[in-house]
Amino acid sequence: MIESAPVVLVIDDEVQIRRFLRAGLELDGFVVQDAETGSDALKWVTLKQPDLIILDLGLPDMDGADVLERLRAWSSVPLIVLSVRSNEAEKVRLLESGADDYVVKPFGMAELLARAHAAMRRQVRAAAGEPVVRAGPLAIDLAARVVMLNGSRVVLTPKEYKLLQILAQHAGNVVTHQYLLKEVWGSPHVHDTHYLRIFVRKLRQKIEQDPTQPRILLTELGIGYRLAIPEPGTAGSVQ
Amino acid sequence: MASERKLRLWFDAVRRDLRGIVIALLMVAATTTIAYALVAYLDIRRGSVIYLIPVLLAGWHLGLVPALVAAAAGVLWSGYLFYSPYYAYFIARPFEILNLSLFMIVAVVTSHLANSMKKQTELARKREIEMSDLYAFSRKLGVVSTAADIYRAIEEHLAKLVQRKVVVFGPGSANDQRLEDNTVPDKVRAAIADVQCGSTVATTAADEVGTTWLVRRVSERTPDFGVIAIDLGNVRGSDVEDIRHRVDGVLSDATATLEQLDVARAINDAKMRSETEQLREALIGSVSHELRTPLSSILGAATVLTQSPAIAKDERLTSLAGVVRDEAERLNNDIQNLLDATRISREQVKPRPECIEPLDIVNSALERRRRRLAGHNDAVDMDTNLPFIYVDPVLVEQAFTQVIDNAAKYSPSGSTIKVAARRNGHDLILSVNDTGAGLTDAEKTRIGERFFRGPRHAVTTSGSGLGFWIAKAFVVANGGKIEAVSSGADRGTTISIHLPLAPDAPQLEVGSDD
Repeated sequence: MIESAPVVLVIDDEVQIRRFLRAGLELDGFVVQDAETGSDALKWVTLKQPDLIILDLGLPDMDGADVLERLRAWSSVPLIVLSVRSNEAEKVRLLESGADDYVVKPFGMAELLARAHAAMRRQVRAAAGEPVVRAGPLAIDLAARVVMLNGSRVVLTPKEYKLLQILAQHAGNVVTHQYLLKEVWGSPHVHDTHYLRIFVRKLRQKIEQDPTQPRILLTELGIGYRLAIPEPGTAGSVQ
Repeated sequence: MASERKLRLWFDAVRRDLRGIVIALLMVAATTTIAYALVAYLDIRRGSVIYLIPVLLAGWHLGLVPALVAAAAGVLWSGYLFYSPYYAYFIARPFEILNLSLFMIVAVVTSHLANSMKKQTELARKREIEMSDLYAFSRKLGVVSTAADIYRAIEEHLAKLVQRKVVVFGPGSANDQRLEDNTVPDKVRAAIADVQCGSTVATTAADEVGTTWLVRRVSERTPDFGVIAIDLGNVRGSDVEDIRHRVDGVLSDATATLEQLDVARAINDAKMRSETEQLREALIGSVSHELRTPLSSILGAATVLTQSPAIAKDERLTSLAGVVRDEAERLNNDIQNLLDATRISREQVKPRPECIEPLDIVNSALERRRRRLAGHNDAVDMDTNLPFIYVDPVLVEQAFTQVIDNAAKYSPSGSTIKVAARRNGHDLILSVNDTGAGLTDAEKTRIGERFFRGPRHAVTTSGSGLGFWIAKAFVVANGGKIEAVSSGADRGTTISIHLPLAPDAPQLEVGSDD
């Protein structure tokens, strides 16, 4: 893990939102840096590399999507977007252009922290070459390409495995339909959502205790899927 | 070219008449058979008037030329049968020639009368249809509330009259929207813009695939009535003129009517009405938006409080922080309802349907209302093998959440709320059943109305009367329907949402896994 306290950059023009974010993030052990505008944020990021960025899309000086795009041109720092409801298309666009995840305003601190930790863990995992991703009773060994459920091996078809593998690589964070379709079936099939529905149903039958009430492979309506991971060390009961 | 067309028209007319002439002659032949029988068996000698029957029939149904032919043939045959010497076309007595000539004159006049009467009847019928169309049109104008609706009515009316695809572009705000209508090609749009600026009254434009469009102002006198574009199809230059004349005729009638109906004022009124409505909606929209920002801070802060060690130690404080959080959430839902209602009345609900697992919608809604349902027993009955549905998942989930909200709100805590998903023919039914307040017959008929609240609960249970209305609008927008069944007051309610199934997926392709 990161030795010193992780630094988070909060980009939001609403002072009250910054205040509670600061309180919540500091309680969780982050060092918090604020930025009110997109240009301030971009300036600050070039000077110091934060461990996490929380970006509100409604900024006074520039479009949040532009901030994201300019950041992603040179930095892969974990980034969570604060979005408003009922604009799924925009959320998908932001995820496609490099946001790691989003929360919808108004949101609870626990939800934001869960997304943030998942995004940060992915980077650590990638850097350290950690091969095993755990999601409840499920363990996915990305190196050995083996999936275990409660200690016994789950037999998956190659496409089912590929699907689970991508979700595991992003464990805790949402993965869009388009991304999954492109990675598993190839670019010509990015709109064939029914492929995904069929395979997710099959996968759930193999990995979920009750496939009608999935706890591991979760759906984000209109966006994509999320592999749920337990939240170590945070107040998971608080929403 | 023109003379060639005239020749063709003449030839067509003759051919049409030829058919009439043949039929007229056949009728005369039939009459002759009857007349012959009268002469041979009953020895009737003054029966020439019988030949007026085919003349009248021909004049009524076949036109003037066949009627005249029938008259001539009738004269010939009466001469043969009824005038001496019988059974010869030769007539001996001079007064009989006079008699026959009189018959001829009567026949000609009769045929002419029959023909013109027929024409007038047809004209009257056509006028009647046009009038009833016009009445329907004016009735429609009487009840519409927006300028766009008026133009839609004009469009429908004119399309009916000219039997072509007609697009009307009204003045003011309505036309920007219509200009984006992608059934109208770019070149035609350019022509429309031209006419709108007032540089010409009428023009024609051909699009990429060779379809000709006639573009002209609805009224030649004023641009107030907007511009009309008519798809003439794939026609040649000479025919364009033809159709153009017809359209001119129709439009001059139409504009006269428009002026009589005071459409200009109606448009203005409608504009005012819709602007007022828009202002109201904008106000609701912006107020709701403004409320939401502080609400985000309140809700976020409350969750931080519940998390902080200092408060977590004290149970009373934790529960207080919980109250702040729950109430903020409730307020947020109310604001969301207002925003959704605004969206619905602005017709901004645009479903983005996709193939979706029905379980996901149910589970997502249940998860969203987990805390609210905590006081109830929820029994979920779903199959793992439900067919996929083709809907906008977000809208349907919101609709389903509203239904769950109502079930939780109007049934006692501790009671059971049953949630089920099942297939029914070409539909998938999501249903929520509670054992609560139920619906009286009177309530059942009004439950879909905006702001309707059952009088039995208006005082005791908070609510805006928007939930079911929103749910209904979202379900209908997705091609579904929503039904409320209840066996009466306090006997529980079952709400069923019917949703369209996704078309069968190409199973083979998916099945070939690598």
